Amino acid sequence: MNTRITRRPSGEFAIEVRGLTKAYGRMRALRGIDLQVRRGEIFGFLGPNGAGKTTTIRCLLDVIRPDGGKSFVLGVDPQADPVAVQASTGYLPGEMQFYENWTAARQLRFLNDLRGGRAEWGYVLQLADRLALDLHQAIKNLSKGNKQKVGVIQALMHRPELLILDEPTSGLDPLIQQEVHGLLRDANAAGATIFFSSHVMSEVEQVAGRVAIIRAGEIAEVADTSALTRRSLNRLTVCFKQPADLSELAREPGVEIISQKDYTVLLRVTGDMEAVVRALGRLPVLRLESQRPSLEEVFLTYYKK
Amino acid sequence: MRSLSTTFRYTLTRLRAQILGWGIGLALYGLMIVPFYRIFGAQQERFQQMIASYPPEFLAFFGADTASMLTPAGFLKMYAFSMLPLIIGIFAVVAGSGLFASDEEHGRLDLILAHPVGRTPFFLGRCLALGVAALLIALLGWLGFCILLHGSSLGISWGQMSLPFLSLLIQLLVYATLALLLSMLLPSRNLAAAFAGALLVVSYFLSSLAFLDARLEAVARILPHSYFQPVLSLQDLHLTWLAGLLGVCLVMTVLAWLRFVRRDVRLSGEGSWQAPLLRRRKPA
Repeated sequence: MNTRITRRPSGEFAIEVRGLTKAYGRMRALRGIDLQVRRGEIFGFLGPNGAGKTTTIRCLLDVIRPDGGKSFVLGVDPQADPVAVQASTGYLPGEMQFYENWTAARQLRFLNDLRGGRAEWGYVLQLADRLALDLHQAIKNLSKGNKQKVGVIQALMHRPELLILDEPTSGLDPLIQQEVHGLLRDANAAGATIFFSSHVMSEVEQVAGRVAIIRAGEIAEVADTSALTRRSLNRLTVCFKQPADLSELAREPGVEIISQKDYTVLLRVTGDMEAVVRALGRLPVLRLESQRPSLEEVFLTYYKK
Repeated sequence: MRSLSTTFRYTLTRLRAQILGWGIGLALYGLMIVPFYRIFGAQQERFQQMIASYPPEFLAFFGADTASMLTPAGFLKMYAFSMLPLIIGIFAVVAGSGLFASDEEHGRLDLILAHPVGRTPFFLGRCLALGVAALLIALLGWLGFCILLHGSSLGISWGQMSLPFLSLLIQLLVYATLALLLSMLLPSRNLAAAFAGALLVVSYFLSSLAFLDARLEAVARILPHSYFQPVLSLQDLHLTWLAGLLGVCLVMTVLAWLRFVRRDVRLSGEGSWQAPLLRRRKPA
């Protein structure tokens, strides 16, 4: 008797993944992913390039088939009933590719027709207006950022229950990034669950309530964004006007002096900056520069893999 | 059903330039060749001399002979239809190999199939559009060959003229479905088109050479071009050949569908997928 579970009662989770594995030939892209995204939350999926973010997302939409494990999207197994999952989901691929000779409007009408015309065109125009996108331009004449805007609109236009976005702000300028974040918050306020991948920590911190960190096909950690922020890593370059005694600064918890040359000191600070700033305030500081480390550096620091 | 009709509509729209290009080209060829028979008839003696000077092997290559060359059927077979499957076959190979692989290699299939279309309705919608495109090309060509029939000395009806085009249409479907199947099995669209195109050319030449060398007949018998029937009467038409070729099309389409619904969709820029028989799966 076939006892395969294809549907779960729609409960607490919008996405539930258990032991998901996927290999491309000899390369194991996913090594048993476990993940739970609650309904109504904004969930960040953070990892460096090649970590398995896109592979996970494409398995959830049944564009590729996992080798093992189980997943449920809005209570439905995407491998058993992909159309049900895709009908309630808005998807933004990592790399947007369209028919180059079509206008943005025609491309959006085509994708809307594939959904049975569920989107209201007035809402599409409203989204285009917010993102400052001219829908009458041919796709081939659009910049990478503007193509990304078309992608964002097609993902949002039918007001999906779940948004799955693969690096949604890639290629967008900072102002439009803020606008996209605003759109995501609005969709979330209207009840949509948002699952988005990124390799930019600051973006995830800004938008997501919870975050999963993936590295080399394995989930390294799932945490509240606030917990991650408390542990956030910063690099500080401090230039002094004259030689300074750094012993008090070095005693501050979470501060590590990486290098010291002439009057310039490079510090790594983990977590809260308040005590560091207070200690620096007692020193003859000429200039202070703060820098967020790369995601890879964060991994090396916290996950030691 | 909705997603099938949407896919059909958009695919046919995207094929319209090819339908018009190939269809009008074929029609213009018909408009040129049909009145030519009048000149052919008016100067029959000179043409007879010219044909007699051809090496018999040359005529045999086109499936013609000195006696039949001056009949309407022989004239059309030699001058109108002998090369048509080879020329229009290019459309079939290009359109069939690119039906899915083109969008996939450009990275568009990933987004399209993440929409609630279902792989089977999507596959059927696109295949149906390709079939209708081939039909429209054959129809435009047939019209081009028929328009001037009334004033020509060929003495054949529009209905009779439809028979070679029916056979041509089925040849197109064979090469289109072959290219489609190959695009599902081989690592790239170009490779699929190259293999299907090579078979198109080889099939044409071997089937023609089989008229000259009986030893090639056994090989020619398994090639599609041997079953191309540029005949003008229903009595001469082998319906079993047409049905057989349609059966082959159906089998290739079903195999392509089975592969399409089961496999992963590639992203643009990703490496080729491996031929399934050569793939080594590593346990997860």
